[in-house]
Amino acid sequence: MTTGATVLAFDTATEATIVGLSVDGVLICERADRPSADERPRHAERLLMLCEEALEQAGVGWSDLSRIGVGVGPGTFTGLRIGVATARGLAQGLGVELVPVSTLEVLALQVRSISPEVRSAAVSDARRGEAFIAVWGADGSPEVAPAACRPGDLVEALFADGRPTLAAGAGALIFRAELEAGGIEVPADSSELHQVGGAALCQLAASGDPIGQEGLLPDYVREPDAEIALQSRSENQ
Amino acid sequence: MSGPILAIETSCDDSCAAVVADDGTVLSNVIASQGIHDRYGGVVPEIAARQHLHLLTPTIDTALEQAGLRLAQIERVAVTQGPGLIGALLIGVGQAKAIAAACSVPLVAVDHLQGHIAANFVEPDPFEPPFICLVASGGHTFLARVEDHASYETLGATLDDAAGEAFDKGARMLGLPFPGGPALEALAREGDETAFDFPTARNVKGFDFSFAGVKTSLLYMIADLGEDETERRRADLAASFQRAIVDALLTRLERALDASGLDRVAIGGGVAANGPLREKVEALGAVSHIPDRLLCTDNAAMIGVAARFLPDCSPDQALALDAYPSGSSR
Ligand SMILES: [Zn+2]
Repeated sequence: MTTGATVLAFDTATEATIVGLSVDGVLICERADRPSADERPRHAERLLMLCEEALEQAGVGWSDLSRIGVGVGPGTFTGLRIGVATARGLAQGLGVELVPVSTLEVLALQVRSISPEVRSAAVSDARRGEAFIAVWGADGSPEVAPAACRPGDLVEALFADGRPTLAAGAGALIFRAELEAGGIEVPADSSELHQVGGAALCQLAASGDPIGQEGLLPDYVREPDAEIALQSRSENQ
Repeated sequence: MSGPILAIETSCDDSCAAVVADDGTVLSNVIASQGIHDRYGGVVPEIAARQHLHLLTPTIDTALEQAGLRLAQIERVAVTQGPGLIGALLIGVGQAKAIAAACSVPLVAVDHLQGHIAANFVEPDPFEPPFICLVASGGHTFLARVEDHASYETLGATLDDAAGEAFDKGARMLGLPFPGGPALEALAREGDETAFDFPTARNVKGFDFSFAGVKTSLLYMIADLGEDETERRRADLAASFQRAIVDALLTRLERALDASGLDRVAIGGGVAANGPLREKVEALGAVSHIPDRLLCTDNAAMIGVAARFLPDCSPDQALALDAYPSGSSR
């Protein structure tokens, strides 16, 4: 793990805006804005404010940061772009390292830290009757890369081997019935495992490989609708 | 006033960054046109936003490089807050806020329309208020009375399509590529502008505009002429269509000048790059100011120049700044 590192990490892939700050691998503070079900996300208004609050609480300044981690999704396109644009701007101004973090891997790591013996399926809400899903083995090795799909279609093929699997994330709540029907455990609705947390976010940011600013982009998973429409038009011709 | 301003503009499909000096001189003005929207026949908001994220960082780097400055030498950051495509604006706003926070410099939020007017304040040839300004582009068309450098009063605006939108739609009907304005202007040069009569909102009173009707009459004319005749007379159609739009803009501009008692006039926005419009505004007989074409279409230099006359955001406002979309106001 890294030493002497002050890491600011944030995630805007879900409705929530999450900020964590760690020093030498220890989470110093976490700030979060979690809109209620009837509220809109507030990534643009809250993200930098929460970062500043975290710095203040930790007693460090912007120039003390050695690394910035940013959740690159998959998730809401606009939220992801706000996070990435903010990370790029901070890196331009501060000259610090940038590390992309998979938002789904944050959810999976949280599951493993509580249940080290199970396989973890990270399931977030992808709208349109789909979820963004990725799966990691109990040892943390990736088994299924992030994709947008209907969990019902996936459950049988993926989890037929009967290994114990725990699914977490907002999508796991939406598709609880399908997942449980396939023998996959979904923690109670109130469980913190369904929310992206600052500790796991910072942990992955601290251990991940830095990349150049221009390489930092959201993991959209989905093509834009206009592109899909264009491709299907040209295929039909 | 303070040192150099880094300005960022991402309200539509151009990723723009500029550096403007203390005295209003433009040190660099970089525009990365996305050029990807032609294949969709118009700007697709989601694709524009994705492209901005790709293009903005290198565009900022190039603007700094061309100005011969490092980011650490920038003393203010200016950014277009709106109106425009919300997803596109949020890239510029997000990155500008982060740069300002990281560099501990003030942030200035600029209204895009104020920016188009401020294109007239660029050194070394700034136009001093008061004046009447016509701003016309693909997204907006309005007449402003400009009394000072920081604000304006809207005298009239389009009731439906923007003038640039009418150009684009007309161009598409004539089989020209997107964006249609420049292509239509080029084709019109070979045509007779009096060949056809396209009425443009002759009964819209006051200083308001309407361009929905002119494109409908072009559509009917093309249907009446039939395919072969339309093809043969494309240049005449383009020239007459262009004249109709330009005359509609000029009529309102003249009315506003008469009513205001001012004899000073300026233009801005992408349609202000149109040759015949520029010539006819100059011929109005008023003292006129016509910015370089590069300052008429969307650019960040105009945002940086507008920021010279605007207050800084407070530190908390800067951190919490959000973009506002088309159709809303500050
Ligand atoms: Zn514009």
